[in-house]
Amino acid sequence: MAGAFREGFVEADGFHIRYMAAGEGTPLVHLHGAGGLRLNPSHDLLASKFRVIAFEMPGFGTSAENTRTANMQELAATMAKAASALGLDSFNLLGTSFGGKVALWLAADAPERVLGLVLEAPAAIAPEGGRPPSGSPAEMARRLFGHPERLPPLPAVDPQQAAQTQAFVRRVFGPARDSDLETRMRDLRTPTLVVFGTLDAMIPPDFGRLYKQLIPDCYLVFVYDAGHAVGTERPEAFVEVVGDFLHRQDAFVVSQIPTLVHR
Amino acid sequence: MQVSYFETGRYHASTNLPRQWPMPADAYDRGAGLRAFQGMIERSRFVEELGYDWVSLSEHHYSPRILTPSLPIAAAYIASQVRNIKIALLGPIVPQSNPVLLAEEMAMLDNMAEGRLIVGMLRGTTNEMMTYDLNPGESRERTDEGMELILRAWKETQPFGWQGRYFHYRTVSVWPRPLQEPLPPIYALGTSQEASDFAARHHVGLGVSFGPFDVMGKVTAYYREQCARYDWQPEPHDIVYRANIVIAETDEKAQQLVQQYPREAAFPLKAAVAAALLELDQRTVAGQGRRSANVNRALPINFCGGPDEIVVQLKEAREQIGCGVVDLSFQTPGSEDPDDLMETLELFGKKVLPRIRDI
Repeated sequence: MAGAFREGFVEADGFHIRYMAAGEGTPLVHLHGAGGLRLNPSHDLLASKFRVIAFEMPGFGTSAENTRTANMQELAATMAKAASALGLDSFNLLGTSFGGKVALWLAADAPERVLGLVLEAPAAIAPEGGRPPSGSPAEMARRLFGHPERLPPLPAVDPQQAAQTQAFVRRVFGPARDSDLETRMRDLRTPTLVVFGTLDAMIPPDFGRLYKQLIPDCYLVFVYDAGHAVGTERPEAFVEVVGDFLHRQDAFVVSQIPTLVHR
Repeated sequence: MQVSYFETGRYHASTNLPRQWPMPADAYDRGAGLRAFQGMIERSRFVEELGYDWVSLSEHHYSPRILTPSLPIAAAYIASQVRNIKIALLGPIVPQSNPVLLAEEMAMLDNMAEGRLIVGMLRGTTNEMMTYDLNPGESRERTDEGMELILRAWKETQPFGWQGRYFHYRTVSVWPRPLQEPLPPIYALGTSQEASDFAARHHVGLGVSFGPFDVMGKVTAYYREQCARYDWQPEPHDIVYRANIVIAETDEKAQQLVQQYPREAAFPLKAAVAAALLELDQRTVAGQGRRSANVNRALPINFCGGPDEIVVQLKEAREQIGCGVVDLSFQTPGSEDPDDLMETLELFGKKVLPRIRDI
């Protein structure tokens, strides 16, 4: 299934931005976490429901070092331009961890373009002194996953590239609690779904309720037994609720899961 | 040491009951049933007067052995008739429950009991899995997820959804909330490694049951080790030991009574059913490894003797298991007469209870 994703590049704000795309239907833009773009089984499942465009944000992966973007709001503006360059006027938006904070800025600054917003273990409200995962692949896996032993090992990352990315994240990420962003979250009218794994070791899942308190039209869902990388660890559970929310928005709370045993 | 009285709703009928599980409904004597429920109140008030700390209840089905298939109903009934004693649910069978409904019912109960509810969460004895067609192979995972969902339902202050493996809810928002803050005392019940792991991770107590002191001591040692991994140490009141007791005026009389105690379950399953359950229901004892589920065997007597000997044994249990609470199922072998049970409750309450407070 992962083979269905095709690599592409788009220019925005002078950045040469890589993306992976698959699927048909309403566009779903994905902004990755601080570890960079890694396709996982949830991307394949989402691509069976949406036209998925997973961007690699400038400063991550094999892109050139990003010394120009000053903060998360600027990064969000660049990604909005990247979506425009692909002809996406309006789209669903999924932000993971670090990408969740970028996605919130994008939705706050361009609300007319975001049909529905999903925040996967968002880092927009972060623990004081928290740090993005780093170290060996095994150390990274212990922080990202509730059950790393159930997953294939993470690939090794070039140390120089990792250091460059981490420096970029530290520079643009902003405070653990960003009062400017939180003010904007109070005015956000976009239907929003916040998803946390119950075993998240990076950001306490209890932080989920803070989003509900701030964002007027917000839903909170816990995915049991998943860590920070919810979509990687429990892709079917993650995509079921994300897909249902994006298709039905507020009405997704009305269950359509059959319980009939025999007719 | 605190003492809990395990109330089973003693059913005493003159007719001989068939020795089988499930018990056919046509064997039920309505008068005996009514007396059993009235007796629950009588005994709960009695142990309250005698100074017992808790009255406990446990979920069991389809049998006269324990007449409380619905713990919340039984607990609400007792809560309305007592004033000081704590009411302990030890416990509801989580894997075959709706965990959100349980969280709601227990929150209601804590208010009805004016903040005197104790909560235990149980995987359940093996035969109970047939009550509502629970797959024994799934019971462990359903228990762990259900317990976590109950805790989340109580702690969460905003409506939330739950994408579980076995439970699925788009909207959960428990109302009323428990009266006790932050939560009632909570215990994971079980001798398995998984029960200890869960209790340690969630900073809740552990309830072990019916095993020998040394084996239960290994379980609670494992629990403490796991708690240390999460940077906390349980207090004695965090460990409950449920046990069978035979007490009489003298050691000799108690030993004579024990001779009449059955070795096999009073209402056994068919052999092929028991074998199927044993194959599917895999269990462990923390610190010991795998063990067979208990099917068709009577649970052992853990305390036996006159009052002096019982005090000695309780001290041993405290020392080896580290339990600050004992939950006692008073056995009167050879007699189901509730009056005999009242006598043993009085004997323990007057001759033992005052002497174990400083243990």
